[in-house]
Amino acid sequence: MFYKILSAWLGFSLCTLAFAQNSSHIKGFVVDEKTLQPIEGVNIIVENGYAISTEKGEFNIKNLLNKSYQLKISFVGYETQTITISPPFKMLDIHLKESTTILEEVEIVGHSKHRREKESSVSSVSVDKTFLHENRENSLMQTLEKIPGVSTINIGSGQSKPVIRGLGFNRVAVVQNGIKHEAQQWGADHGLEIDQYGIENVQIIKGPISLLYGSDAIAGVVNIKAPPVPLNHTFSGSVNLLGESNNDLIGVSSGIAYRKDKWFYRGRLTYRDYGDYKVPTDKVVYDNYVFDLHKNYLRNTAGKEANASASIGYVDGDFQSETFISNVNGKNGFFANAHGLEVRVSDIDYDKSNRDIDLPYHSVNHFKITNTTCFLIEDHHINIDLGFQNNYREERSEPVPHGYMPKPADSKERSFNKNTYSLNVTDMFYPFNHHEFIAGLNVEYQDNNIGGSGFLIPEYNRFAVGAFIFDKYEINKKLFLQAGLRFDYGVYNTFDYYDWYPSKVDDGNGGTTDEYLQRSKAANLHFGNVSGSVGLSYIADKTTYKFNIGKSFRMPLANELASDGVNYHMYRYEKGNIDLDPEESYQIDLDINHTTDHGYVTFSPFVNFFDNFIYLNPTPDYYETQQVYEYTQSKVFRFGGEISAGTTLFHKLELDVSTQYVYSRQTSGPKKDFTIPFSPPLSGLVSVGYQFQDASIFQAPKVVVSYIITADQNEIVPPEKTTEGYQVFNLSFLLQIATISSEKPLEIRFKLNNIFNTKYYNHTSFYRLIDVPEAGRNVSISLTQNF
Amino acid sequence: MKLVFKSISLFALIISLVACSSDDDTQKDEQKPTISINYSNGFPQVCDELKRGETYNFRALVTDNQELASYSIDIHHNFDHHTHDDQEGTCELEPKKDPVNPLIYMENFSIEGAKTEYEINIPITIPADADTGNYHCAYSVTDQTGWQARTSVDIKIVE
Repeated sequence: MFYKILSAWLGFSLCTLAFAQNSSHIKGFVVDEKTLQPIEGVNIIVENGYAISTEKGEFNIKNLLNKSYQLKISFVGYETQTITISPPFKMLDIHLKESTTILEEVEIVGHSKHRREKESSVSSVSVDKTFLHENRENSLMQTLEKIPGVSTINIGSGQSKPVIRGLGFNRVAVVQNGIKHEAQQWGADHGLEIDQYGIENVQIIKGPISLLYGSDAIAGVVNIKAPPVPLNHTFSGSVNLLGESNNDLIGVSSGIAYRKDKWFYRGRLTYRDYGDYKVPTDKVVYDNYVFDLHKNYLRNTAGKEANASASIGYVDGDFQSETFISNVNGKNGFFANAHGLEVRVSDIDYDKSNRDIDLPYHSVNHFKITNTTCFLIEDHHINIDLGFQNNYREERSEPVPHGYMPKPADSKERSFNKNTYSLNVTDMFYPFNHHEFIAGLNVEYQDNNIGGSGFLIPEYNRFAVGAFIFDKYEINKKLFLQAGLRFDYGVYNTFDYYDWYPSKVDDGNGGTTDEYLQRSKAANLHFGNVSGSVGLSYIADKTTYKFNIGKSFRMPLANELASDGVNYHMYRYEKGNIDLDPEESYQIDLDINHTTDHGYVTFSPFVNFFDNFIYLNPTPDYYETQQVYEYTQSKVFRFGGEISAGTTLFHKLELDVSTQYVYSRQTSGPKKDFTIPFSPPLSGLVSVGYQFQDASIFQAPKVVVSYIITADQNEIVPPEKTTEGYQVFNLSFLLQIATISSEKPLEIRFKLNNIFNTKYYNHTSFYRLIDVPEAGRNVSISLTQNF
Repeated sequence: MKLVFKSISLFALIISLVACSSDDDTQKDEQKPTISINYSNGFPQVCDELKRGETYNFRALVTDNQELASYSIDIHHNFDHHTHDDQEGTCELEPKKDPVNPLIYMENFSIEGAKTEYEINIPITIPADADTGNYHCAYSVTDQTGWQARTSVDIKIVE
């Protein structure tokens, strides 16, 4: 379709060319925004002429009048740019941006070039700034949830955790600027501490990719890449304002980027403050309890977030280095009537304001400093990532005596302080013809400390080192074979922990004695693992086929190994198992993508087998009147996949459909035949977008209606509840106004979520267990001015 | 393109086969046990006053579709009004106060013999020196699969 338009344009311009007067001309050059490499063959079209860029990216359009012209610059695989220029015509410096919005693609860590992505055998999806802007929700993962195969575990309105094909927590690795994000991912009420503003490129790898990312990348990776290096001698930035009706959110985020010759700088500040969110019900009925909600507000779910980040970089030929510093700080209230499952009564007047954050709440601060340096030594592309991060999280609640524990002195119930040091080195080189090797080394050290009156996990240190080698063999221009092998070694040191209060213990003579119980014993554990993958990719004219078999692994977590405490909020006693083996997963992936001028179809099924899936199993036993939940391993069989298709009709109407499904079953262990926890139901997404004509300064007006349909989830494992299916409609309207210029427009986004204020439950929400429905209707308005 | 559609149809077929067959292929226990004090012998009832030094039989009925496993009884003070029960009637609470020597009763029991119905009947003596005031009594029961049911009731300990 694109070519038809192009030839029509060309025909028109060629005809008119002969009659044009020889009075002026436009010169310039086109480069790739990211790599700054010249692009050959780009079409530059104006009313009276056209040009195609040379090998050096240069172009020259002659025979133009001395008047304003609109230039249309387009090239396959890049976003089309339209700019307006007026005489006198200066040398134009045009930067084209790769379009990654809808295309299903494939890529290997960092070294991104369009073709490379197709050649990889691992299934992945990349989204760009435009996708993130158009689909922006309250948290990064909610924004990415539109991608088939990606879902979330939401904790209230402002926090979420990633889930890929039904697996979440520590089975998904989140990587930012090359360094694995390390926080309290294992916690049910913990959300991802990453500022979603300023992110321009996210790649989701759906499948086991421990080979390249090490432990935890067993279900996939959310790879947040560094934004492209700013253009030379430019200063740019944006200010975003956001308002939402449902939780009365106000948010502001502003970022700048500057480059002078070899040095470049970036900075961003984000602040968000939101009130309690509203649900489409005036009471929550949980077991025999009834909680009346004041004006539909889910009491005490307000929150706030303040983030700052900056970077300084240096680029010179083949050498590039950038150091990022960021701090994310958040505070979120928890629903006041039930903390976890535990029903609580309080004297706090929660309803006096919907904006205050009272107990119980948690606060988190994530500080990160990372450096990415890449350079070329002869034929070796070396990439070094170095990082330090500190995650400090606190849970506070009204002090209450539990069991033998007297009322604690203060509200600090749990605190976690984690320092993580990371180093990654990769070397890409070409030892033989048609072979591309990547060798890599990952080293990570963690130091975990705890505090507060409650005990769940012990203090521990963890050291992990992994090395891999990966070969991509080009059998011919269309067929690629890739294989890799990895070895990992990890050491855990857990520390002693004794209760701070005495418990009554049977003394063996019919009486009781007071004893400070030991909850955790010092231990030294070692883990080793081999992982690897073999894959093929075949790139035909319009269809790309990928096939991959991989083995991934995950080191057991400290809580899985050494938990030994009562989690009163969940009415359970959590017991670790020091004998757990590393989790191992085998997966076969297929990915077929067919793209033509008319649209695309993508089909990506998988079959997966876990030899020893670790989960928290509710046993029939009690400990101090709390049900014993024990970390257990079982075999798990899973399969599923995603299908998506889209087309554009009449050049204006975009239709996209996608569906995702995962089937999971435990095939051994105490919960044989049950599914695994937090299994997302079968779901589909239909979206219809209509692109209107530009009208003077109003550019790219677009309306999108999306329809989410989700089936019942009857596949559950104790203590889950089945969840009914639902259907929800969302609407969004996007518009750009050329305020400063057409390249630096004011971007307006109006969104209406849950149009019909439907009351529905999300099977994987944190509040699902206490029967809290999802948020009601929400109007959001976002204004972004680029400068 | 044909291959794409073929694979998609095959995938759809597998999904529908699994979706249809998953209902009847196993004897998975998907039912929670039940627990109740709402019968004539159920004890304690909302706002019951228990005298210090006396012994009471705590009684509740539990059922399960397959096999009951264990139960627990937890009595703790509610002097700070931190929680409330899940019973129909409400119990007027006495003013808040600090505990000195509150009764803490936490015991676990198992139900032998693969029963689907059972009456919990445990004699508990209220110590003569226990603090008087508002208390909370929570029962819970599990089945062999690991499902749990809970119920709780507000009571008082008096002189």
